[in-house]
This record gives sequence, C-alpha cells and structure tokens, in this order.
Amino acid sequence: MRALGEVRSSKARFVERKHMAILSAPLESSGALIYIAPSRLEKHTLAPRAESLVLEGEELTIAGNERDQRRRLNLQDYPLARAFVESIRSTLAGDLPTLTRYYRVELEGGERRWRLTLKPSEPGMQEVVSEIRISGEYGSINAIETIETNGDRSVMTVTRDGP
Amino acid sequence: MTAAERWAIGAWLVLVAACIAVISRTPFTTDISAFLPRSPTPEQRVLVEQLREGVVSRLILIGIEGAPQDALARASQRLAAALRNHASFVSVENGEDVGGAQDRDFLWRNRYLLSSAVTPERFSAGALRERLEEYLRLLGSPAGSLVRRLLPGDPSGELLHILERFEGQARPARRDGVWFSPDGQRALLVAQTRAAGYDIDAQERALAGIRGTFAQAGAGEAKLLVTGPGVFSVSTRAAIRDDVLRLFLIATVLIASLLLAIFRSPRVLALGLLPVASGAAAGIAAVSLGFGTVHGVTLGFGVTLLGEGVDYSIYLFTQATPGTAPQRVLDRIWPTLRLGALTSICGFSAMLFSGFSGLAQLGLFSMTGLIVAVAVTRWVLPSLLPPGFTAPAAAAFGPWALAAVRHAPALRYPLLIAVALAGVLLAAQRAPLWSDDLSSLSPVSRSEQLLDQQLRRDIGAPDVRYLVVIDAPQEEAALQASEAVGASLREASRAGLLDGYESPADTLPSRKAQLARQASVPAPAALRANLERALKDLPYRRQVFEPFLKDAAAVTEMPLIERGSLQGTRLALRLDTLLARRKDGWMAMLPLRGVTDAAAIARTIAAPPGARAVLLDLKGESDALYRTYRAEALAYSLLGAAAIVVLLSASLRSPRRVFDVLAPLAAAVLVTAGTLVLGGYQLSIFHLVGLLLVVAVGSNYSLFFDRQVPSGGDRERTIISLVFANVTTLIGFGLLAFSKVPVLHDIGLTVGIGAFLALVFSAILSRHAEDGTVHAHAAGR
Repeated sequence: MRALGEVRSSKARFVERKHMAILSAPLESSGALIYIAPSRLEKHTLAPRAESLVLEGEELTIAGNERDQRRRLNLQDYPLARAFVESIRSTLAGDLPTLTRYYRVELEGGERRWRLTLKPSEPGMQEVVSEIRISGEYGSINAIETIETNGDRSVMTVTRDGP
Repeated sequence: MTAAERWAIGAWLVLVAACIAVISRTPFTTDISAFLPRSPTPEQRVLVEQLREGVVSRLILIGIEGAPQDALARASQRLAAALRNHASFVSVENGEDVGGAQDRDFLWRNRYLLSSAVTPERFSAGALRERLEEYLRLLGSPAGSLVRRLLPGDPSGELLHILERFEGQARPARRDGVWFSPDGQRALLVAQTRAAGYDIDAQERALAGIRGTFAQAGAGEAKLLVTGPGVFSVSTRAAIRDDVLRLFLIATVLIASLLLAIFRSPRVLALGLLPVASGAAAGIAAVSLGFGTVHGVTLGFGVTLLGEGVDYSIYLFTQATPGTAPQRVLDRIWPTLRLGALTSICGFSAMLFSGFSGLAQLGLFSMTGLIVAVAVTRWVLPSLLPPGFTAPAAAAFGPWALAAVRHAPALRYPLLIAVALAGVLLAAQRAPLWSDDLSSLSPVSRSEQLLDQQLRRDIGAPDVRYLVVIDAPQEEAALQASEAVGASLREASRAGLLDGYESPADTLPSRKAQLARQASVPAPAALRANLERALKDLPYRRQVFEPFLKDAAAVTEMPLIERGSLQGTRLALRLDTLLARRKDGWMAMLPLRGVTDAAAIARTIAAPPGARAVLLDLKGESDALYRTYRAEALAYSLLGAAAIVVLLSASLRSPRRVFDVLAPLAAAVLVTAGTLVLGGYQLSIFHLVGLLLVVAVGSNYSLFFDRQVPSGGDRERTIISLVFANVTTLIGFGLLAFSKVPVLHDIGLTVGIGAFLALVFSAILSRHAEDGTVHAHAAGR
C-alpha cells in the first residue's frame, strides 16, 4: 500500500474483457489509463469505440466521440459508481482508510507480488458485486477482476508504460 | 350648547358606533397579493396565480447547518422522515431515495405507452439492430451493470429514452446519502405544503411543524434555516402585525406626551385625539365596506393619519386666545383648515385609482379618515373645549419660533442652491432613477431575501423563468397540445435555442398518443422475426430477450395510463403541478431550461386548434407589470398634483399666491427626491406616492404661512401651531420609516423628510416675514 501511495503519476495500457451471461462471447475493449496523485484518474477507451472517463475529485466526466456527448456526474449522487471507482483509485493512491469505508479488505502475498480482495460492505453494492480482486507487484497494478453476483465477470489487465 | 351642537355630537356618536360595528365584523388580511394587479392580462393572471397558489408558492426550502457533516445528515434524515408523516406536507425530499422504487416501477411497466420514441419503425429489424449495437457499447461502459439488467426486457431502449427526458433537471450534490450545499456545510431539504402559499394560517402551521419536529429531533447544536414564499408570507404577516402595533403604540405615546406638554391638560389631550380616533375608525370602516377586507398595511398607515389628523386639533387649540370662544377661533382658521384638508384629500385620492388594491385601500382609508377628522374638529370639538381655553406652552415658545421664522428668509439663496443641486443630481443620475423590479415592492426583508437566494443556489434550482402555458377546454386537448408543443421544443432544442423542458405528457401522455403507441408494437410473430434479423452476428444469446417479447405482446391489452395510475408515485405530484383544472378548462405548463433565445422559441411553438399556447417570461412579465404600475402611479400622481393646483387656484384666486403656496412644496419634493437618491435608494412606486403626499401634507404649512392674519399675536400662534403640527406629522411618518415593510418604510421616509422640508421651506420663502405687514384678508375668501 505504501509503495502505491508513493507513485505520483503513472500511465498504462489496459485490455478489459467482460464475460456476461447475456452475451455469447466476451466483450473486449482496450485503451489507456492515466493516474495523477492523489485524485485524478483517466480511462481512455480507444477500441472498439472511443470514450473517455475522467475522474477528478468527486466529479466524473464521461465523453463519447459521438455528437459531442459529454456528461458530468457527481459521484456523491451515485454511491454504486463511487464504490467501484474507489476500488481502483484508492488502491492506486494507497488510501486504505477510504477503501475500508466501502469494502472489507484482505491482502495476500508480499511486496513483490500482492493481491487485494475487496468485499463490498454496503448493502446496495453487495446486491451487484460479490468481490473485486486487484493484483500487482510493487507500486503498480497488473489486473483488476470484478465478479458480479449474477456470475458476470470482467477482467482488466494493465500494462504499465515506463516508470 | 346649542341645538346644532347637540345634533353634531349626536351624529358623531352614531357614526362612531356604526364604524365600530362594521370594524368588529371586518376580516383583516396580510396577503401580499393585495399589492398585485386587479385587472391583469392572461399572462399576468397566470403569473399572479402562480405566486398565490402555484407549486412555487408551496415550496419550503430547509437548510440545516452548524454541526459536523454526519450529524447534519442524520438530522436531515430524521426531519424528513417525521415531516413525511406530517399532515401539512405532500412531499419532503432530502436526497434519500424514498418512493423512487414506485416511480421506477411505474415507468418500467408503462414504458411502451410513455416513450415518445415509440413508432412502428422503432421495432423494425434495422432500428432494433441499431439499438442493440448501442447497448453493446453501453455494456462495455461503467453503466454496464445497470444496462445489463434493462436489456432483456427493453432492447429497443424505451426506459433509457424516458429517463433521458428526466435528466438535466438540476439536483443538489449528495453526501452521506442526503442533499448538501456544494461546500458541504449545510444539509438541504425541500418540502411541498398541501396548502397554497396564500393560505397563511396553513403555512404557519406547516412552519410550526418543521420547527417543532426539528426541536424534537434533538439535532444538538445544528441550526435550522427555512425559506420560501410561505415562510415569507408568514413572517410578513408577523412583521406587519408587530410593526403596526409597535409603531402605533410609540406614535400614540409620543404624540400624547407632546400634546400633554403643550396643553397641560389630560382633558384637552383626550379631546385632541378625538378627531384622529374618529377618523381612523371611519377610515377602517370605509375600507371594510369598500373592499370587503382590510389589509394589515392599511392599519400601519393609520399611524400617519394619527400624525396628520391630530394637526387639526393642534391648529384649533394653539390658536385659541384668552377671551375668545373656541367657536370664534375656529371660524377664523376654518377656511385655511378646510383648504389644507382638501388638498391633502386631493393627494390621497390619486392613490384611490391605483391598480394596487393595497394602495387604493390606503387612499380610501386616508381620505375618509381626514374628512371625518376635520369634520369632528369643526363641528364637535369646539363645544367640548373648556371655555376660555388657551395653550400655556405656546406663549413661552412663541418668541423663539417667531425669531426663527423672521430669520428664515436669509436662507433663500442656500435653498435655491439646494434645489438646483437636487435638480442636477436627479437629471445627471446615471443609474436608473426608478427601480424596475417588482421585488422592490416585496415586503420581504433584505436578510430573508439573501437567505432565500443562498438556499436556492445551494439546491441548484434556478428560478424557472420561462414557461409555455397551454389553455385547452379538456384534459385530453391540453395533453395533445403539450405533445405538439413538446415536438417543436425538441426541434428548438436541437437548434440550440434551449436545453430542455418538462411536460405533463412525459408522465401522462394523451390518449391519442398512447393508442398510437399501442398500435406501433408489431404482432408477436412479426416482432420475433424482426428481432431475429436484428440479432444476426451480434454476440447476444437469443433466449435473453424472451421478457421483451412477452411484455411487447401484452402492450395492446394494457389499460391506458390515467391520472389515477400515478397514485402513490412522486411523479403524481409533479404532474399535479404541470397540469391543473381551472374554472374554464385545463391548463398545462411546460417549464423550459437553459433558454438562449426566447423570441425564436415563441415563434416556433403553436398549439393545435382549440388550444392556446403562450410562452410566458415570468421575470419579463412581472417587470412589465411593475412598469405598467409605475406609469399608472405617475399618471395618477400628476393628476393628483394637478387637482391640487386647480383647487388652490380656485380658492386663492391669485396666481401669485398659488405660486407662493406651491413654490416651497415643489422645492421640498425636489430636495426630498435628491436626498433619497443620494441615500442610495432607487425610487419605487411607494416613494412616488410619498412625494405626492409631501405636496398634500405640506400644503397645509404653506397655506397657513400664506394666510393673512389680523395681528402679530395671531401670526405667532399660527407659527407655533405649524411647528407642533409638523412635529406630530414627523412622528407619524418618521416612525413608519422604521417599519420593516417596504410600503410603510418608503412612504414614511419620503413624507417624513418632505414634510419637514416643506415647513422649513415655507418659512424661508414666506413673504410676510420680510416686511412684517399685516394683510386683512383671509384665505379662501
């Protein structure tokens, strides 16, 4: 956690696969992640369609490529989205207190190779998500796996660009 | 006592008894809409209706502050929970998701009837394919888990389409599950009362409910803030009540002390107050008979009558000389007294024709009051006065007052300079001289207005400024017109003329639209075939969409949505505010958001035949209303002033004397207006009325100064009586300047300054003091 907290900014590529019961094949998307400590997180999806999510403090901006679509949300209004977002951002920030506000946190492994298991503590979140597994080495994240209550699953693998 | 005197006293007693009888049955109101128009245009009627009873008038904004965030959130939850069970409120929102489940259930069940996107093409293979591809994109986005749950029942995306319509309505930020101000310092709630805003008793009960509940909730050091139209009307009523009582008591004590100091006789004091008391009783009774109710502000104005009406007895008492019967004194001053009273009445009569029923009440009250006060002074008072009465203090005070008056003309040049300066100041005024804002008449205090603005900003609910108002004979026609107007608004929104709008047809579509939507859903076999084709090569599992096929097949059998179908949802409340039955049909309202070009929107909206649609600019309309009023008040004031000039010309029959009487008044009006502008006031209708009253009241002074008197002693007594009369007028109007109610404050301040200046200027411009000669004709002869 401390190693993560020391990272000031990082840039990474991601590939996300969503396995859903309603789909016969997993849905794949890829793009770039940018994190700037302590609270800015950007997720730029490039394929199959360009879309970007920018999280700054409490504000989430969603911008699509089409028709200049741009929406701004305040996370306070969307407790579910907030819990999701904090699972990644607080992990990146090494912010254990915020993480434990939303999840029961288990840490396995050592500094070199670690795995966090987050189990939602809020009833609203518990209805949707059964657990989130985040694995990494030293101060960077390798993969985020989200398992939903209905069995749907998404796996995001992260490859860091340089230091 | 002569027979005539006995008759006069008898008639007076009967009058007073009758007045008391009328007053005892008079309802008193403090409804601020008395200061709104009597004969408005249809747009203004909507405006006034909205202000009186529209949903806006029913909202109470609540803030809780002064404690840590989690304590505020808990206080908000407890307060909201208690108030939701309170009979005074139809809804209480604080950001908690209470009742949201019913809303979502209603929207989900009726999605095919509610969605304006439902057309036969919507269910073609091509359109379904487009939607399914869009869903695929959404599934990959953060909204994926929500969308996944909607998809099996709604691949054509009707619920998302409906929800998009509700989006864009500003909502405050949430912390700890409840609404908070952006800085996190204040928890926010919005309560809607069952009673309309004009029902002040009910609003007072609702407020007491909020305060009581909050106190019981034991929120520790947290502080409760409330605002809203209902809060305003309750506090205005309290302010009027407090002000009227307080100012009346202070004025009575001050004027009584003054009379006692001058005349040193309780009996004379009582007699001195007799004309005023009778006048006030008659004034209230007249207003009661003329208007059906008496406004609290009218009573407040009674304070000025006290200052003005007591002058008559002062003139009589002070000018009494030893060895002269009171009746003789009165005969001597009567022509001037009568002319003075008539000019005052001319001035007040201008208010009688005002479009504000409130101002008209003030006019009728003052006119009746003055007539009765002067009549009682003339016919009742002399016979009750002790024989040989004379005012002792008057003698001691006389030489001093006379010396002041003798030296006053030395100030002519300073006076001219002051008038010139005031003229230049008024002419060169860069900021608009007249306030253009209806809220300048609002009886709400500055601090309350600021709190209101603060909470409104926090809640992020900017005042609705533009509304499309639709009139139609039936509910169905009103809804069809709403849909037609909605279509042109969507067009205008795409052209960038506005951001969005709300419509009653969003939750209750017309029967025509609902039937058309039912008919748009293809037969089950056809729909299944379309879906099969749409799904080709997409990664969805086929059996996932069975719920959709089942629901779509049931649409044709579904009962249509009626008003009652919304029962138990929060949407019902919203609908009630947007669609209302009226005496002559139905009215639908479509509030607009983010309007950039109102004129262009007004050109595009058109209702189908049989209905009428108007774009209403609430702010523009109320400003226009105010300007109409001001123009009207200006016209009546000029008429009033003209009537005074005609009256004086007819009575004095000398242009020179008319000029002598009017010059100090004109100077006083100019300098008063200059002083107000210098004091940072933007002049309102109330100031205008005040300026007219300066002429009406001040004319008494200049007339008495102008009056030719037979002896130096008489002149001295005249001047003393004027000084005392002026002091009482100053007490009456000056006290009003301390009122929190703008109409009273503005008029009081203006007349207070103006009346004082009128007396001083009359002394300065008086011709008699120069030569001390004595002329042998009396005014009016």
